[in-house]
Amino acid sequence: MAFAKPLATLRSSTGIPTGRLAIWWVLASEVVIFGGLLGSYLMFRLGHPEWADAAAVTNVWIGAFNTFVLLTSSFTAVLGHQAAERGDGKQAAKFLFMTIGGAATFIMVKSYEWTTEILHGYTITANGFWAFYYTAAGLHAMHVIAGAVIMGFIAVDAWRGRELQRVELIGIYWHFVDVVWIFLFPLLYIAK
Amino acid sequence: MAEHNESHGHDHGHDAGHGDAHHVNYKRIYLTLLGLLVVSVAGPFFGILWLTLLTAFGIALVKANLVIQNFMHLKWEKRIMKWVLATSLVLMFLMFAGVSSDVMNHEGRNWENVAAQAAVERGIGGAEGEAEAIEVEPVEAGFSAQNTYNLVCATCHGRAGDGTGPAGAALDPQPANFTDPAFWAERDMERIVTVIRDGGAAVGRSPLMVGWSASFTPEQIQQLADHVATFRPSGE
Repeated sequence: MAFAKPLATLRSSTGIPTGRLAIWWVLASEVVIFGGLLGSYLMFRLGHPEWADAAAVTNVWIGAFNTFVLLTSSFTAVLGHQAAERGDGKQAAKFLFMTIGGAATFIMVKSYEWTTEILHGYTITANGFWAFYYTAAGLHAMHVIAGAVIMGFIAVDAWRGRELQRVELIGIYWHFVDVVWIFLFPLLYIAK
Repeated sequence: MAEHNESHGHDHGHDAGHGDAHHVNYKRIYLTLLGLLVVSVAGPFFGILWLTLLTAFGIALVKANLVIQNFMHLKWEKRIMKWVLATSLVLMFLMFAGVSSDVMNHEGRNWENVAAQAAVERGIGGAEGEAEAIEVEPVEAGFSAQNTYNLVCATCHGRAGDGTGPAGAALDPQPANFTDPAFWAERDMERIVTVIRDGGAAVGRSPLMVGWSASFTPEQIQQLADHVATFRPSGE
């Protein structure tokens, strides 16, 4: 099946395909967004020894399970990319749908976790720790949801054998979301 | 039909010689990541601080690096992209280096972060209750509006309420002068309470007057407002 590619898909002045260049730029700005937030959290945490009591309340097992879910979804995302490189759109789509399943699991676990915490009175206004907790994990969760939605569109296209290069692009984004969680996990759950 | 997409432009950006197959054993990377996750969860059980920090943050760095290099393929990416990302990281560290000393310390040679000190005091004081500690309300007992005013507010507003506190001299705009009839001409008690609770910015005034809702209960704020009202010149 031959179809005309938009010029921007193939044109490249850096040696990087335009789409991938764009996703890296997005991530470069995300590094500053999450980096600023987590950096602020870190300095406040170090200045407020009493936050350790609040951090002790977070559930390490839920955090660990969600880390497992995201690592697994990253694995399926990269397998999707591998399938797309082979030109196997259907297989790539299957892996993307599995990744979306991971995203859905992550969000469901998060909803359960947050509901429990909020019902116990640990709301975003309870103290500085909880303000950071909900802001950082909330911003991350929004990235998970946005990624899953976009992945849905890309998976449908991939199933039809279209725009397979996008499988890699959404994958790179997804791995970044995974990396952010890799840091959120010790910051919010392990360090008591 | 998918088979026809094989030369899909994937290898455009990768360094010559790598093509589109990176020869990464993704499964092995994935299993390594899971193994590291187990270690990072197990770390705190030994109860050794440095070990916990190492297994928590050291392993996070290793895991992130594995994902970035092997799943995001940054290893094979053009050097310019690594520089762009590194620049973002440097900006982040600059931000940290620039402000962290002010945030992490609660007092310096010429300043004192009273709200932060009070928060630490409250948190540590109630720490025996473990998980319940954070729900401890600001302590009511022993609160004296006058003492608190002299300790907290007078720094800028002056003990006499005339806006000439030592820390206020450097502020622009100058702290409010509660002894000035003009001050009271346009303000009622509700407004005083609002500003103490939510800060000057809440009513469109200077954000240098910060809100104190995190440090004092509504009753205490009301008492502080009443204390401020004692500076009101009589006959107004």
